[in-house]
Amino acid sequence: MASLRGLSRPARSLPLSQLSRQTYIASSIRCSSSQADAAAPAIQDLENSTLTTLQLGPEEKKEFRPWKRAADRKHALPSGRYQYHPPKYNRGPLHPIQSPPSSDPIARDFVPGPFNVPRLKQTYHSTIASDLMTLAYSHTPPGTPAKVAAARLRGWDGSSPYHKNRALRGPRGNPVLPLVERDMSFNRIPEIQEITLACYAPAGIKDPDHLLVARSVLLGLTGTTPEMTKTRANVAQWGIKIGDRAGVKTTIYGNAAYEFLDRCVHLVFPRIKDWKGIQATTGDSSGNLSWGFTPDEMKLFPEVEVNYWMYPAKMVPGCRVFVKTTATSDRQARLLLQSFGVPFYGEVRN
Amino acid sequence: MGKLPSTILRRPSLAGVGILPSTAPNLSHTLLPSPSRFTPTTPTTTTTTTRPGAGGQVRHATFVPRSRRPYQFTQLVQLSDGSTFTVRTTSPQALYKSAKDSRNHMLWQPSEKSLRNVEVDEAGKLAAFRERYGTAWDLGGAAAPLKPEEVAAADAAAAAATASNKGGEGEAGKTAAAQAQAQAQAPAAAAEDPFDSLVDLISAYATDDQSIKGGLSAKDQARKDKGGKKK
Repeated sequence: MASLRGLSRPARSLPLSQLSRQTYIASSIRCSSSQADAAAPAIQDLENSTLTTLQLGPEEKKEFRPWKRAADRKHALPSGRYQYHPPKYNRGPLHPIQSPPSSDPIARDFVPGPFNVPRLKQTYHSTIASDLMTLAYSHTPPGTPAKVAAARLRGWDGSSPYHKNRALRGPRGNPVLPLVERDMSFNRIPEIQEITLACYAPAGIKDPDHLLVARSVLLGLTGTTPEMTKTRANVAQWGIKIGDRAGVKTTIYGNAAYEFLDRCVHLVFPRIKDWKGIQATTGDSSGNLSWGFTPDEMKLFPEVEVNYWMYPAKMVPGCRVFVKTTATSDRQARLLLQSFGVPFYGEVRN
Repeated sequence: MGKLPSTILRRPSLAGVGILPSTAPNLSHTLLPSPSRFTPTTPTTTTTTTRPGAGGQVRHATFVPRSRRPYQFTQLVQLSDGSTFTVRTTSPQALYKSAKDSRNHMLWQPSEKSLRNVEVDEAGKLAAFRERYGTAWDLGGAAAPLKPEEVAAADAAAAAATASNKGGEGEAGKTAAAQAQAQAQAPAAAAEDPFDSLVDLISAYATDDQSIKGGLSAKDQARKDKGGKKK
């Protein structure tokens, strides 16, 4: 069907059966290009264009009567303004009306792109990934018996008959089982998964304009529509109660995340006054690092800077940035971000 | 009246309950092979890309939201060293030239000499001023010039050392003489450049964060340059 695009408009409206008879048509026409093909068969191999072969002969021209088809047609065609609209609801895989896949441009959830390859992503795939893998390589001679990991969950001693088939207990003192650090290997190189930006604007409880400004700022920074967050605690002194709308957040994935990190590292961080780097103690000990921007630092972003006069200056919020990586420990995540050019300072914790 | 662009934000208090975030990892976009339009979509696609609409979730139908996203432009970013790259951004500027970025920042370019905080003093006016009026920190008791008693004492020590050397103790005596002379000259050196010792004091403070700031302080650099010329 792709070859049809190269044809002229009248030729395209021909039925397919006519188009497929190319050999017959080529033999019936005497034109300069077909003569040249006959003279030089070597060029014919190279020249594989439908333009040279397909021409309408006199018989085909006689047969080509679109007005006749239109007259014979029983039902009226839909008007020129007819467009296919995908269904608004998905009604299950067995329903006769199905929505197109999201990769289809007419789908409701279609997102165009990608329009460029972020340079940070390019750098990651060309150099950083292989560098990290090489740096973190530790050789184990073949035949080394695999280490048996110690049991992290506590069992039951079996003193009671009810202990049988009982689920194992978590570690003593800490109900949360921390993530086990896995070694980097060719198929487990840490990478950026997503970046979440969150603004907390408690002034928005009294005056919702603060939330509007926070939304606009995050929208400008990420190109996504942020969602509202609600407070999760009752603190009378701070004037907040559970369920107040007091912030916005948004998450960006993939290319957008790489570009945001690129902007942070190369355009925003260097413009912060007396900036030492990111505190190396950051991290949740499972490979997710975070930092924050004060309201003053938010205006260093090119997207905010370009129309800074549009924001009420005292309402621009600060924001926290959470970088979620596939690393399983903070030091691996730090290694990844350092290779992206994020400087760290101070002592490291884990 | 036409419909407003969907990215224009409303006041949050007036917005509906279900403000849809336009973010979702577009898994079906990248990972899943795109089936033809008329084949039934897999239920996984349905669950990942759809969210309940304003009316809420109903069992027999799942709302497929249209994503609300602002227009994004392709912007050419030019860093301070002249390198350019394109980004997708909401900023309508076609070209963004940055004056300060990681290409001309000490933290990222610690070996770049032009970024060092060096005093530009081609005519020597600042040095002349300092020579004439001194600096702020040598206002309180600067090192006084060496007194004649001390000079005499140092000479005496040197003489004693040389005498012991003549007495036949050889190498040890020689080193002792050298030490004595050095001791005698050290205060003299301090006297001729009181500024220097203070510089040491300051640079000792500066060494702690030298790795962070990179390079030398202005005074250190000036000293280093001066030493290089002498050699």
